Amino acid sequence: MSDRAKRRSNAFIWSWTAFVLVVVYLPIVCGALASFNKSRYFGFPIKVYSTEWWQKTLDSIEIGMLVRNSILIALLVTAISVVIATFGALAFARYDWRGRRLYQKLILLPIFFPQPVLGLALLLSFSALGIQTSWMTAVFAHLVWIVPVVTLVIAIQVYGFDPSLEEAAFDLGCSRLQVFREVTLPLLWPGIWSGMLFAFLLSWSNFPLSLYTAGADSTIPKWLYAKMVAGYTPMVPALGTMATLGAASLLLAGGVIGMLARRRRLA
Amino acid sequence: MLQTMPAPLPSSTTDAASKPILQLVGVRKVFGGFAAVEGIDLDVREGEFLTIVGPSGSGKTTLLRMLAGMDTPSEGNITLHGELINDVPPNKRPTCLVFQSLALFPHKSVGENIAFPLKVKGVDPAARKARALELMKIVRLPDNYHDKNVMKCSGGERQRVALARALAYDPEVLFFDEPLSAIDYKLKKTLEKELKDLHRETGKTFIYITHSLEEAMVMSDRIGVMRAGRLVQVGTPEEIYSAPVDRFVSEFVGEVNTLKMTRGPDGAWSSPDVPGRFVLGRPKDGAALSEAFVVVRPEYMRFLGPSESADNRLEGTVYNEYSLGSRIQYQVRVGEKVMLVELSRARALSPGADPNVVIGWDAADAFTLGG
Repeated sequence: MSDRAKRRSNAFIWSWTAFVLVVVYLPIVCGALASFNKSRYFGFPIKVYSTEWWQKTLDSIEIGMLVRNSILIALLVTAISVVIATFGALAFARYDWRGRRLYQKLILLPIFFPQPVLGLALLLSFSALGIQTSWMTAVFAHLVWIVPVVTLVIAIQVYGFDPSLEEAAFDLGCSRLQVFREVTLPLLWPGIWSGMLFAFLLSWSNFPLSLYTAGADSTIPKWLYAKMVAGYTPMVPALGTMATLGAASLLLAGGVIGMLARRRRLA
Repeated sequence: MLQTMPAPLPSSTTDAASKPILQLVGVRKVFGGFAAVEGIDLDVREGEFLTIVGPSGSGKTTLLRMLAGMDTPSEGNITLHGELINDVPPNKRPTCLVFQSLALFPHKSVGENIAFPLKVKGVDPAARKARALELMKIVRLPDNYHDKNVMKCSGGERQRVALARALAYDPEVLFFDEPLSAIDYKLKKTLEKELKDLHRETGKTFIYITHSLEEAMVMSDRIGVMRAGRLVQVGTPEEIYSAPVDRFVSEFVGEVNTLKMTRGPDGAWSSPDVPGRFVLGRPKDGAALSEAFVVVRPEYMRFLGPSESADNRLEGTVYNEYSLGSRIQYQVRVGEKVMLVELSRARALSPGADPNVVIGWDAADAFTLGG
């Protein structure tokens, strides 16, 4: 390729990349801008900027409850789904048993269900069983959808590791438990770590399942929706921006921790 | 034992004195209707270096996995010091397997890998490190490798780590599943010799699996040749080489000239492939055959000058020669058949010599196999 053609192709690649990034991130930036608008209703150009709505959001007791609910649900979903998914992934990818292929398909199926339908189905099931819906039923609902995702994430890690490592540990005197603690768990750890991040963030941002199954309890996405339908204030974009920033910093921190762990291991 | 012939070498009689450490009687392994291992009887002597060699799919890895406890025999018995160990799991056996992939723990350093069996046993960290450094000396790894990331080691270094880790377990029997198969030729030669030295120094029983007979020949006290799940011959490298029990073993062991022979009504042997009459050696089992294969190794074939004679002779044309380093191999076309003649370089044909040659061999240098 001539220099000229190369320069042109580089220019094209750069401008295309920039375009995609703008399309992806501009709406988020708009949300953030809207939250700094002093007036109650959104309109461009913004006449007066203010942090008033951020302050109100931070001070609101109601929003504090929402955030607590969302965090509580996400933490529980993370803890439970990672345990189920780790063993599920081993069954999924490692051990050969009758019905494994069917299991592999069934476990992944909920990922492709439309979530509102899944939420409705769960709500109907809860009421049929006479279970009062609350944040606890929302945890269960999130698990139905998130466990398959986390299983898949960890299964990728399981596929990437040589089963003879476990055999070798067993051969060198380990009990089954020692094999798991000394070899399986440390080697699956990167996958488990990303699975945990996935679980937390998917639960944190889930709206349809929470809408149907959280009952009287509200979560951040549920509240955002409710306020959009009735009673908009710039607290909606403010909380939305905070939730996004929270998720982004969690992701960033998770990535950095993962990278540091890997670097320490490879030292 | 499948060996039916009295062994011609003294080594087998001296070895017979040492008692078997591992004994296999009628061991079979069936995977969903397919018998990977089909009735193996074998005595492994204490302290010997036994190599099981066979083409891929011959069942040698399955056999090894049963010995190491990772698979259970479908039938038959495996005993260690006379105790049945068929169902004893690997972590309860005083044996250790060096995997083909080596199975080094990528999340542990060289020292942590080596000391792993000690950690499992609950040995304290200081003693573990001391022992790891000791073992590193034995396998010729420098001390400063103790904290090195095992994935940053070269192929040869990883071999040594795997070996040291197995030794740290202090097993009575060490198994090897083709650990040298992915190593380049020159390093392989070095590691083969080191492994043999290590065997002598430790006095442990080594059972080694490979598809490379060359590897087996260099290291082993005894070799077992496997085919289709069976051990077809067990013997010293010398026995396997010079007295193979059948065509499969003879051809597996190296390049050979094989000629089909039939006995005419007058009792004389002739071949459907090449002209002439032939004198055969006695078949191994002494049976009276009407059809046989005569097998001559290329190094026992000679070019015959006008005044030289041999029990058997063939006229042919040299059409190719290969340098094998210290030796030269000639391909000689005799009718439709290609015969191989191997000479030391010192005795090579002079360049420009007449390609029409007479080749020959003595009956005593050939072996005769039935069907």
